[in-house]
Amino acid sequence: MARHQKTFTVGWLYPDLMNIYGDRGNILTLLKRAEWRDFEARLIELGRGTTKRMDEVDVFFFGGGQDREQALVYEDLLEHKQPPLERAVAAGAGVLAVCGGYQLLGHYYQTGEGERFPGIGLIDVRTEAGTRRFIGDVVVDSALVDIRPTTLVGFENHSGRTYLGPKAKALGRVRVGFGNNGDDHTEGCLQGGVLGTYLHGSLLPKNPHLADHLIRSSLRRRGITDLAALDDTAELAAHEKILARSAR
Amino acid sequence: MRRTAAVWAGKATGVLSRFSRLGGGTTLPGDVARAIDPDVLRKLSRDLKHGAIVITGTNGKTTTARLVTWLLEGAGHSVVSNRAGANLIFGATAAALERAGANGRLHADWGVFEIDEASLERAVEEIQPRAAMVLNLFRDQLDRYGELEAIAKRIEAALARLPDDSHAVMNADDPRVAEIGLNLKRKPLWFGLDDPAVALHELPHAADARTCPRCGASLIFDGVYVGHDGLYRCPNGDFARPAPDLAATHIELNGFDSVALGVSGVRIELPLGGLYNAYNALAAFAAGNALGFEPAYIAERFRTVQAAFGRQERLEAKGRKLNVVLSKNPAGFNETLRTAVDLAGGHWFLIGLNDRRADGTDVSWIWDVDFERLRGRSRVVVPAGNRAADLAVRLKYAGVEAQPPESDPARAIDALIEATPEGETAHMLCTYTAMLDLRAELVRRGWAKPYWET
Ligand SMILES: [Zn+2]
Repeated sequence: MARHQKTFTVGWLYPDLMNIYGDRGNILTLLKRAEWRDFEARLIELGRGTTKRMDEVDVFFFGGGQDREQALVYEDLLEHKQPPLERAVAAGAGVLAVCGGYQLLGHYYQTGEGERFPGIGLIDVRTEAGTRRFIGDVVVDSALVDIRPTTLVGFENHSGRTYLGPKAKALGRVRVGFGNNGDDHTEGCLQGGVLGTYLHGSLLPKNPHLADHLIRSSLRRRGITDLAALDDTAELAAHEKILARSAR
Repeated sequence: MRRTAAVWAGKATGVLSRFSRLGGGTTLPGDVARAIDPDVLRKLSRDLKHGAIVITGTNGKTTTARLVTWLLEGAGHSVVSNRAGANLIFGATAAALERAGANGRLHADWGVFEIDEASLERAVEEIQPRAAMVLNLFRDQLDRYGELEAIAKRIEAALARLPDDSHAVMNADDPRVAEIGLNLKRKPLWFGLDDPAVALHELPHAADARTCPRCGASLIFDGVYVGHDGLYRCPNGDFARPAPDLAATHIELNGFDSVALGVSGVRIELPLGGLYNAYNALAAFAAGNALGFEPAYIAERFRTVQAAFGRQERLEAKGRKLNVVLSKNPAGFNETLRTAVDLAGGHWFLIGLNDRRADGTDVSWIWDVDFERLRGRSRVVVPAGNRAADLAVRLKYAGVEAQPPESDPARAIDALIEATPEGETAHMLCTYTAMLDLRAELVRRGWAKPYWET
């Protein structure tokens, strides 16, 4: 272990409960891509009740869950995770939040009956229940300037309609699919080091450039600004496949 | 009159679509007949001399239906069943139609129908079965079926409508199934495994039912058999695995060749491999028990059962043995991988992934499958199917050396045959339509029989 000068740490929020859409793909992609660059890649599992070593995390991942599980993590998030998560983000750590995790980091989720469940307000977004479920492939033209290709691909499956407030910027514009709400052509959000999105598929394996963006951004605070290039032929072939069939 | 018209219209469609090879005529006649007479299945079911058994659950329906049918046929009964994996209600209707006579009457003693979780309520209502079996509930095609919670509620509603003298045969080891059973007014006939020697010590990644339905605490698993099926209890003491009425002990796993277990004082052995088939055998044994068959008869009969279409189907190709194994969701895939790699010692693999409607259009779930199991063990892996490119990425991040992705079935089979030494066995683990595509190519080459002859 001593030969590793650099570490890279992923913190997985509720790995046993918020893992519904193949979210492990995002975790594996972050860890492997750091490992292939000779980082010592570590995973900290942040289940209910624990806040252990949250200050060591470079990138947090917060996925989606089934309704029952989502209700169970909600209390724990407010009670235990919110303060250390806010501190870590203020100190430059990154967060990738997908689907349910994305919604819970916003101001609130409002049900069809008008009942509001407050989120932790880490990002300036709000979500309202929709009637129709958005399901299918998504292609996004990304707003991020440091990624090539500039497209992101994934699969969405959500009935929530998320709207961005003035402090949140869209992750990109939807070319194919519905995105945040099906109205304004936005998908996802960027605010500080937090990246929220509805894309799974899994997201990062088919978007290695986005994975590297997350790793690079979170390591900046430790003075690391460049990542060695990797051979992404397989990943980009899977990316291209979605682009090609969505263009048909 | 309406029923006779419906039966004839459905039969004609079945014959036509089989001739034209349009998907093999498994559900289309059902659609046509139900359009003419929506009550056709209800009416046909009433003709069954002894009644019907419906089987639901995420995995194992087809094999369990085959086992139950095998038991009934061995006792001299004629059985109508939806054999070709067409397990929607239309498939059950199509199956009943195929056996109906010219007068629109069904001449059979029993019906054995595998029914999609989502169609169960309607099936129970129309078929009025003598027994309903619930095998397990795992995450599967969330884009199509939705979340487990909703599915569990529908199954519960369906079972609540079972006729009074019918049996609910249920898997005690599955927390979601147990939750359904414990909510019912009738007492289910519980089955479960009791053999710590074949249990794993922790839940696989893709386990779903991890929390107590009563208090939300994380369940404690003292042993895990398949997916989240095992020996579980809530630390707060308000929920635990029901004691099985029929428990399998002393389980012996012999690759893909056989599985043996002890139950009710007899030893059962069947020529199908994998721990998941111990569950299927035990479930079928439980159903046989409920219908009054002697344990000794069941044990004798199971010895000669044959695999269902695409479920551990053994073929020969250019001196190589092919083993076609349907693997359609994380729980199922993890079991077929475990059987192929750990129990059968397999080295040569083709993994087929399609994203058509019957497979699920969202392929995210491959990241919940423990392909890491192949690392350092497989000699060749051919990623196939129309999403072969996604599989290639999955295998790369699992640290598994693989061939270039090959979406063309003919070329994928060539690559597998070429890489597999003569006399050796290659395992083909595939999602449903990927299996159909590859199998069609195998049929074209004369290495497999068309499915309607299996
Ligand atoms: Zn409890």
